[in-house]
Amino acid sequence: MQNPRKPASRLSQTQAAWILLAPFLFTYGLFLIYPFFRGFWISLHDWNLLAVAFNPDAKQFVGLRNYERVMWGRNIEWGPLAAPFWQLLGIAGLAVSVLLRGTKRLSRFNAIALGVASVLVIILPGFHPGEEGRWYDRRFWPTVANTIVFVGLAVPGVTISALLLAAALNRETRAMGALRTLFFLSQVLSVTVVTLIWQIMFSPRQGLIANITETFGGTPINWLTDEQFAMAAIVIATIWWSLGIAMILFLAGLQDISKDIYEAAALDNAKGARAFWYVTLPNLKRTVTLVVVLQIILHFQVFGQSHLMTQGGPNDTTQVLVRYIYQTGFRDSELGRASAMAVFLFVIMGTFSVIQFIVGREKT
Amino acid sequence: MNRSYYWLVLGLSIPAFLWLVPTLWMVSLSFQPNEVLARTTSSTLFGLIPIPFTAENYAALFTFGQTPWWFLNSLIVSVGMTLGVLAVSTTAGYALARLNFRGKVPITIICLVGLMVPEQAVFIPLYTMFADFGWHNSYHALILPRMAVPIGVFLMMQFFRGIPRDIEEAARLDGVGWLRIFWYVMLPLARPAMMTLAILTFLYAWNDYLWPLVSAQQREYFTITLGLASIQSNFAQSEGLGRVMASGVIASLPVVILFLIFQRYVVQAMTAGGSKG
Repeated sequence: MQNPRKPASRLSQTQAAWILLAPFLFTYGLFLIYPFFRGFWISLHDWNLLAVAFNPDAKQFVGLRNYERVMWGRNIEWGPLAAPFWQLLGIAGLAVSVLLRGTKRLSRFNAIALGVASVLVIILPGFHPGEEGRWYDRRFWPTVANTIVFVGLAVPGVTISALLLAAALNRETRAMGALRTLFFLSQVLSVTVVTLIWQIMFSPRQGLIANITETFGGTPINWLTDEQFAMAAIVIATIWWSLGIAMILFLAGLQDISKDIYEAAALDNAKGARAFWYVTLPNLKRTVTLVVVLQIILHFQVFGQSHLMTQGGPNDTTQVLVRYIYQTGFRDSELGRASAMAVFLFVIMGTFSVIQFIVGREKT
Repeated sequence: MNRSYYWLVLGLSIPAFLWLVPTLWMVSLSFQPNEVLARTTSSTLFGLIPIPFTAENYAALFTFGQTPWWFLNSLIVSVGMTLGVLAVSTTAGYALARLNFRGKVPITIICLVGLMVPEQAVFIPLYTMFADFGWHNSYHALILPRMAVPIGVFLMMQFFRGIPRDIEEAARLDGVGWLRIFWYVMLPLARPAMMTLAILTFLYAWNDYLWPLVSAQQREYFTITLGLASIQSNFAQSEGLGRVMASGVIASLPVVILFLIFQRYVVQAMTAGGSKG
């Protein structure tokens, strides 16, 4: 930077910069960077929370054994048709990505993303314990699967309803503004308020849903204790809670589509639903991708809904990854194993953060 | 406005009302007597209208129980965290956006990488660290970890980059030092961005659940979010449904009021935060 005349104060620019940066770099280093690496370090130890609290030397270096104990098992085999549904789905996905890329209907980035995801879907479900074999930790992979199911239900649920709402609410009038406020309101509530409300909403004896069902002569469902409905219940509560951000992001995206395109489309007789399908959606592609990736990151961290509404039950059907990490660490005091799972969580979320970063930068 | 517009508004009012029902129900239950709620929760119009009406639940909250205390804790933690985050983010954001110094690019990248690290990936090591320091069950234990999250630095950095350089250069010509420029020239300009960041941080602090859950084990240090979690699992037996619902309403009041007053900033903040973080 050009410096006119002489230096104005005794502090040089560099000194000023470091003084201003120091407080943040200090907290950042101490409370984020250091714990991050310490997390890896803990995951390499047999580390009992209580034992180490009393005697700092009670930890023992075990290398990667925690990872093995969490993710692996005895006599684990890989079979090409161990989980035929998922593996065939993966093959189909791979074929689609190659085909669409071949005909240039998919950008390179999307093709690679779909391809990698498909390959993972082919490979990962193929692992299973062979004869006399078993997973060392029977609950870990089912927990990961539950988390994926939760994400797989909540993300499309939020995205589709938010997209439709945003398209309908995309007018600058008072009434529309008020409606937007209503839909966004639940977003600012804390997870414990949301679970408080929905626990009682879903209650078979006191719940609003049960009361209404009974009035119309139906039998109330035991939402939170029925294996078939528990996951659905926490997904419904989650959609209710987190629709707002997605809706706002879509509204911002819709503002960027010029009115001319709609007018031109109207001349071609594309109005209403047709205009939405042929004009709005193609122009919103980037926003949709961004919202989906953001939601995946957000919902993969699900904890409160499962912890407070269903306690992971019934029969572990709503046990999710963060809750399992929390329990392993703070109920079972197995900090080493919990840290290994936290590293696993970080790898998944980090991958999606990188995707988010790339998508956010991509200009269409 | 044509007729189809009015149909659209009318058509959207129904889902909007349904969207509001759970919240309305919570408010309505909080104004009904516990004895009635123990029998039925659908007295008048499925319980959506608080008849029979009572304000007893709120009165009870302020005489017994720890809700007012937890509320105060939440205020202290949220305000403290907001001030702390503002202090470290504005300074660092300005330095990274406007000052030239060696190592600026690597530091910016290192900060950017930190955006990828979720709370859940560091809460165990943070717990052991704070335990070693003997810091758990204190306000600073609840406040400090958030001050390390770089999202605020990036919000401020982006904002400062958008301010024209002439303003700074004029001040430099008058012989004003960098720190004074930051304090007297740039900070006043940054009010809107600081407002957004403040709201983002306050909402996060008020609603955060996982870190207070592991760090605050003594009930005196519970935030209202955590306190509410601790009473909701056995609401029927211990406190009475009406009182738990009243706690829920009290816990939501500050963020709802904040939202209704500063709607534009809240929406901006949550969009910028990208998540509940």
